[in-house]
Amino acid sequence: MTQSPVLLILGNGGAAIHAVMASRDAGHTGPIHLVSDTSGPAFNPMLAPYFLAEKIRFEDCFPFGEDFYDRHHVTCHFGSPAATLNALNKEVLLESGERLSYDRCLVATGSRPTLPSIPGLNNSPRVFTLRTPKDTIALHQALSSTKHALVMGASMIGVKLAEILMGHGIKVTLVDVADRVMPNAAHPDCASHLARKIREKGVDLRLDSRLKGIEDGHKTMACHFETGQSIEADLCLVSTGVKPNLDFLDPDHVELDQGIPVDERMKTNAEELYAAGDISRGFNPVTGKKEIIGLWGNACWQGRTAGLNMAGSDTVYPGTIPHHISSFFGLDFVHLGNINRSGEDVKILANRDFSGGAFYLLVFEKDILVGVNAINTISHAGSLKSAILQKYVWSDYLDFRMKNPTDEQIDRILASFRTKN
Amino acid sequence: MQLGFSFDISRCSGCMACMVACMDQNDLAGNGATFRHITRLERKASPGVTVSFLSLSCLHCGDAPCIMACPTGAIYKREEDGIVNVHQDLCVGCHSCALACPFGAPQFPDGGKMTKCNFCLERVEKGMEPACVRACPTKALGFGPIDELSNEKADRASRAILSSYYLNPGAEK
Repeated sequence: MTQSPVLLILGNGGAAIHAVMASRDAGHTGPIHLVSDTSGPAFNPMLAPYFLAEKIRFEDCFPFGEDFYDRHHVTCHFGSPAATLNALNKEVLLESGERLSYDRCLVATGSRPTLPSIPGLNNSPRVFTLRTPKDTIALHQALSSTKHALVMGASMIGVKLAEILMGHGIKVTLVDVADRVMPNAAHPDCASHLARKIREKGVDLRLDSRLKGIEDGHKTMACHFETGQSIEADLCLVSTGVKPNLDFLDPDHVELDQGIPVDERMKTNAEELYAAGDISRGFNPVTGKKEIIGLWGNACWQGRTAGLNMAGSDTVYPGTIPHHISSFFGLDFVHLGNINRSGEDVKILANRDFSGGAFYLLVFEKDILVGVNAINTISHAGSLKSAILQKYVWSDYLDFRMKNPTDEQIDRILASFRTKN
Repeated sequence: MQLGFSFDISRCSGCMACMVACMDQNDLAGNGATFRHITRLERKASPGVTVSFLSLSCLHCGDAPCIMACPTGAIYKREEDGIVNVHQDLCVGCHSCALACPFGAPQFPDGGKMTKCNFCLERVEKGMEPACVRACPTKALGFGPIDELSNEKADRASRAILSSYYLNPGAEK
């Protein structure tokens, strides 16, 4: 190519920003256009809880700064999202009417919160989600006049938000339709310990519990449960999941499957079209399947990989596994990989009589570690994640009859892996 | 330039002098976080077992995964010497780096902000060795620019191979 290609990036989050940085680092000197429905610097939604907990300032939720675009010579098209993308003509139409053509395009439009279909939920001014800068400010402003909050979704973020609200002196009712907290991240044997701790700290935790409807009153909202019980709350904070922002994409132009499937180079099946971040279904090297892994770090790696490849280099990203680490109610909780495996090849080692101190739950499939839960021990979390990705065979180092894996035993096994070669 | 540690597992006696020197240099409490970690390894041999020790700290990775995982940009790599360091005022204590690091380097004393081995920056900048390297009585730990370390390693390996052929009068035929 004699002329430098025109890069177009849709989105303004971690994936988009890292794509810009990587393509400039790889020597792309041509134009970069960036499209976003927001009109400011890139926001990191992962930092919003820290702002709500008053640990950081609001401006600290924008880690790349306002001058990022100038420093990287990016032409910004802010304030209007993409309306349609024509992958055959390599053209994007914005809702503002502006038309942009590209040589290579990255879709990094992220995801948005979903609301469960409960009558009264959709149009109540007392219902909040937490994703964007606007959401964050609105929730923050509402906190001072809130005495009782209903948090929907006992996911990791739901539990964290419950803790933050309680820190503001707010009474919290935490509701989930599942019969345990963090059903995707915590094994039942671990979730029971977490639930006990959450209740001990004063949260009104209601599991296996569904709302029938919500009625806005003059001062509060009435939340009716299917059991016939009702509570009065000042606000309802919904953290029941997200869905990818892909409405502007045409399934005839690019393969869509609850997200955009990508290969290890972040390429979609459409020519010169890449996807990264929460919208992309990347490779999980442990399951061998493509899935959305909506994590800040994963988005940044994917964005970087896309950016390098769009600038003409050939870079692969092997993918990652779901992984979370969070501190709430005085506990450090770790989740790695797939803890919901079952079958005759599956073995589980766990400190089942956990009452305090450190808790480990290790899930093995065919003697290979595939999932971990840990409470109050984080020193081996990264090494265990690496051990899952490396697919080490544990049977040479571990007695599977063991009942209580300790930090020390795990430390020795991990050190053995490190010195194997 | 990229600084690195070298470690010769055959020389390490597990005396823990490196760990104690590190704790002293970095004012770490005796019962809390440590930047250097020593693991005793036992391997079946016939007869008995072979015992060895692994001393590990932050490796100041070339393309450090902790930097990519950090949501605030608190972790950075120094251009002049490749040392990976943390701006503590930017750290929110989210532990993302702890999940990204395959070596368990990030530490969180008192559940707060991340801290870890910074290669004894204040010593190295004044031309001294890091405290752990200085304290190692068997010279199992070393440090220097990565290129030099790998040349030295190749050199040592070549010598070992050659000496087993020609230069070792005690070797059995």
